[in-house]
Amino acid sequence: MSIPQSRLRNFSIIAHIDHGKSTLADRLLEQTHTIDPRQMTSQVLDSMDLEREKGITIKARAVRIEYTAADGLVYGLNLIDTPGHVDFAYEVSHSLQACEGAILVIDAAQGIEAQTLANVHLALRQNLVIVPVINKIDLPSAQPDVVMDELENVLAIPREEVLLASAKEGTGIAEILEAIVARVPPPKGNPRAPLRGLVFDSHYDQYKGVVTYVRLAAGTIHEHSRIRLMGSGAETDILELGVFRPQLVPVHELAAGEVGYIATGLKSVRDAQVGDTVTDAASPASEPLPGYLPAKSLVFAGIYPISGEDYPLLRDAMEKLHLNDASFTFEAESSIALGFGFRCGFLGLLHMEIVQERLEREFSLELIASAPSVEYRVTPMGGGPVLAVDNPALMPSAGEIETIEEPWVKLSVITPSTYIGPLMELSTNRRGTFTSMEYLDPTRVLLAFEMPLAELIIDYFDQLKSRSQGYASMDYEEIGYRSARLVKLDVLVNGEPVDALSLIVHRDKAHTAGRQLTEKLKELIPRQMFEVPVQAAIGSTVVARETIRAMRKNVLAKCYGGDITRKRKLLEKQKEGKQRMKRVGSVEIPQEAFLAVLRMGDAG
Amino acid sequence: MTTGDAPAPAAHVPAFAAHIPAPAAPVALYVHVPFCRSLCPYCDFVVVAGAAAVGPRSRVSAYLRAVAAELDMRADALDAAFGRPGSDARPALETVYFGGGTPSLLPPGAIAALLDQIRARFGLAPGAEVTLEANPGPDDRGDLAGLARAGITRISIGAQSLQPDELRALGRRHRPADVADVVAGAREAGIASVSIDLLYDVPGQTLASWTETLEAALALGPDHVSAYALTLDDPEAEGLTGPSGDHLPTPPGARRWREAARATQDEDRAAGAYGLADAMLEASGYPWYELSNWARPGHQSRHNLVYWERRPYAAVGPGAHSFDGAMRHWNAARLDAWMAALVSVSGGVAPMLPPGGSESLDAATADTEALFLGLRLARGVPRNAALSRIDAFAWAAEHGLIEDGPGERVRLTLRGRLLSNELFARLV
Ligand SMILES: Nc1nc2c(ncn2[C@@H]2O[C@H](COP(=O)(O)OP(=O)(O)OP(=O)(O)O)[C@@H](O)[C@H]2O)c(=O)[nH]1
Ligand code: SF4
Ligand SMILES: [Mg+2]
Repeated sequence: MSIPQSRLRNFSIIAHIDHGKSTLADRLLEQTHTIDPRQMTSQVLDSMDLEREKGITIKARAVRIEYTAADGLVYGLNLIDTPGHVDFAYEVSHSLQACEGAILVIDAAQGIEAQTLANVHLALRQNLVIVPVINKIDLPSAQPDVVMDELENVLAIPREEVLLASAKEGTGIAEILEAIVARVPPPKGNPRAPLRGLVFDSHYDQYKGVVTYVRLAAGTIHEHSRIRLMGSGAETDILELGVFRPQLVPVHELAAGEVGYIATGLKSVRDAQVGDTVTDAASPASEPLPGYLPAKSLVFAGIYPISGEDYPLLRDAMEKLHLNDASFTFEAESSIALGFGFRCGFLGLLHMEIVQERLEREFSLELIASAPSVEYRVTPMGGGPVLAVDNPALMPSAGEIETIEEPWVKLSVITPSTYIGPLMELSTNRRGTFTSMEYLDPTRVLLAFEMPLAELIIDYFDQLKSRSQGYASMDYEEIGYRSARLVKLDVLVNGEPVDALSLIVHRDKAHTAGRQLTEKLKELIPRQMFEVPVQAAIGSTVVARETIRAMRKNVLAKCYGGDITRKRKLLEKQKEGKQRMKRVGSVEIPQEAFLAVLRMGDAG
Repeated sequence: MTTGDAPAPAAHVPAFAAHIPAPAAPVALYVHVPFCRSLCPYCDFVVVAGAAAVGPRSRVSAYLRAVAAELDMRADALDAAFGRPGSDARPALETVYFGGGTPSLLPPGAIAALLDQIRARFGLAPGAEVTLEANPGPDDRGDLAGLARAGITRISIGAQSLQPDELRALGRRHRPADVADVVAGAREAGIASVSIDLLYDVPGQTLASWTETLEAALALGPDHVSAYALTLDDPEAEGLTGPSGDHLPTPPGARRWREAARATQDEDRAAGAYGLADAMLEASGYPWYELSNWARPGHQSRHNLVYWERRPYAAVGPGAHSFDGAMRHWNAARLDAWMAALVSVSGGVAPMLPPGGSESLDAATADTEALFLGLRLARGVPRNAALSRIDAFAWAAEHGLIEDGPGERVRLTLRGRLLSNELFARLV
């Protein structure tokens, strides 16, 4: 098992979404006999239910491969399959930090797309060797020559370096393995120096406690070592040491440059966070590794249990899931309408959806999420420190605000040139400004816009896809804050603000949004014992108003011929209905009303 | 339940010590007669119509044999548990009620025979109230004189409306004039108490047409008026139509009719109609005594009061409900299954009690029932009964649903009657 450091190769597979990274990983595992052919499935590394259902990779996965190269020597390869969706760029950059090289996969029929560019730039920033692979050459629509031109023109990748493959049919795989051995340099790091290993991921196991995934920068770790986590200070005797093949397989030792896992036995997830450094308790290193910059949340929303009693379960679930996905943030908050829950920060909308779904599935919870928001910066009237507001309900009233700033992004869109018109129109409707256009080849262009992030997170991506018949792809990065004429739109039911329904909207869109909200609520809130006004207001100015008339009649008039049982059951059902309602002041609002209104927010 | 020796803490003392459930012999008897000439689309009762109800292939005589068998079996059980009729624990019946369906379709001779059997096996107290439900149509209303001779003392007429177009919209077979004829016929036959059933919140009704219906009904000089809101429940959704359920599935046509009718219903109009009925009836000498019932003094339905007061009652016929003070029991709805159990076709097989279901009530449920049933009545519930649910009653007082009544009692206000479920749902 012991392979000298000079024969280790650590690399990630990066690409635009769906270009075939996971399928290529399948072939690499097969050719190197890492997985028993009987256990092989397609995209075997996409093992999470959600990944299989959605057909996309959500989490990066590391695998240790042993490969006997043409030179007759055995090489140890650590492969990391990464996700392609824009929300997970952070996951890709983590993976790249553990590597010396990257396989860049490009779909032979699609060519360069938005995340191809974004991911290449991430890899180059870390000085990685790039092994370009044009995949799917089996497709009738494959145009490897055109794609090679694009690579040459846009990324300055010489055609001689480009490999051709079909991950589906298994062609070109041997060449890729040889190119990894030949082109990717071995890791550096002294195996005899004090131990330093970066925790890049982890999960929680009922029996083994926190299982950390580490890449060793220096030193050697043994199966019976006692370790210390330099950030948290926690110390523990290792329960198990191993590598990913891709299932966990114990080994006796791991040395500098290698990737593996440590079952720590630690029960508290806070003792071993992603980004911490593992060292030897007996002869510790003096300095921890740099760790990771915290993920920057772009989208914020409240997540609440549908039934209030589940709050402690949700807290526990948040902590456990966070161990496996350090890129979302959570902080306890409470809402008058929704009770106790968490304000969470996400990398994007898909990330938000996935976190919510994982919490629901992996921890059997029923959750409700408030409408997504971005983080605003508010300068108070008459000076004072700038406030960061990621929950519209907490936005100060208009009179206390000097200026509001919102985050803007630079949006890169790659599209066939036929769709330029519709995409320009879409972006300018969303308060975007067009900044540049560049031809990638005679039929495809790269458009750049600047746009408020808030406009992007509504349903921009869906609109982009539908207006380009699925051909356009996009990527975005934050470019800072700009001030805007934004207002907070409050919803008042019977004069009481319903915090969960507050929105930040552009001044020009406030009346329409207010009308939609109040009309919908009038439809959804049942009559109460008294007349209930429903208003949308900016500060103290009401911009829309509806009235829910008082309940007049709720009576079981009919005589059911002595059938008292039925009468009682009907009353019990009414009682259950009441118990499921949320109270705002003295008004009872069914949970469904919130859900419907929050969903309406999604649709813009 | 407070069965131990140690007194329970004051706050948990049940509201009515009298309602600690214990079985007792019935003081009332309900007989379900499931036949109607045709099915009304809003009907929620256990009914068979058409050829099964009238004509050569009707099931009426088989039904009569089965009902006689069930009466005997129920009486046998009561004899065993409480002694023969008239003994201490086995009081004679105070009321008998033939409900339906359309019991007026039964020949008077059959009613007379059933009453003879009831008198022999259950006992009938002197001055007992014996009600029969009748439909007004000429071929529905039966032989009123014959019924009176058979022992019927009270008749309840399913008039529903006195507007021709509303009756048509409801799928009823009679005209307004038929109602007047039945009332007159009943009076002529010497039936002592006459009640008229009316419906509000029906398709096409306005407050003006409702006023006319009420005026026309009052002009007939009934002793008792029931006014029900048209209720379009779905027994299937309530899970009542299974093999042991007490309801039949709603036919698709009726389901569509109900959907359309529901769309015409209006909460504000319905509340207005109720208020109007209450004011007009009260002013004409019919004070309310139960949420949906108004009567001249001395003409309250004694049978229905047994239900509201939670006194024990027996019941026979498909889908019929009985109560013995501790258990509520019901027969399953299907006529065939009910008859098959009671009447052996080939002879030899001993008759059995029909299929059905039951629930036993614990003290808490009994208390709750006593509150929401008692509050349906004008006399309300004792003030101290409200103490056990002080929050709900305080809430009701705050919203003007209840008021103090004479004799340390609490009762519903007019607004409280209309919104009674809001309070009751807080009590169950
Ligand atoms: N025809 C053809 N299809 C391929 C090839 N490689 C992958 N695919 C298909 O392309 C689709 C996407 O493949 P994946 O391997 O899941 O792509 P991915 O890059 O891992 O996707 P993400 O992880 O979501 O970014 C699947 O339907 C594959 O079957 C190929 O060489 N030829
Ligand atoms: S007459 Fe009465 S019991 Fe018969 S079908 Fe009509 S509503 Fe039902
Ligand atoms: Mg993948």
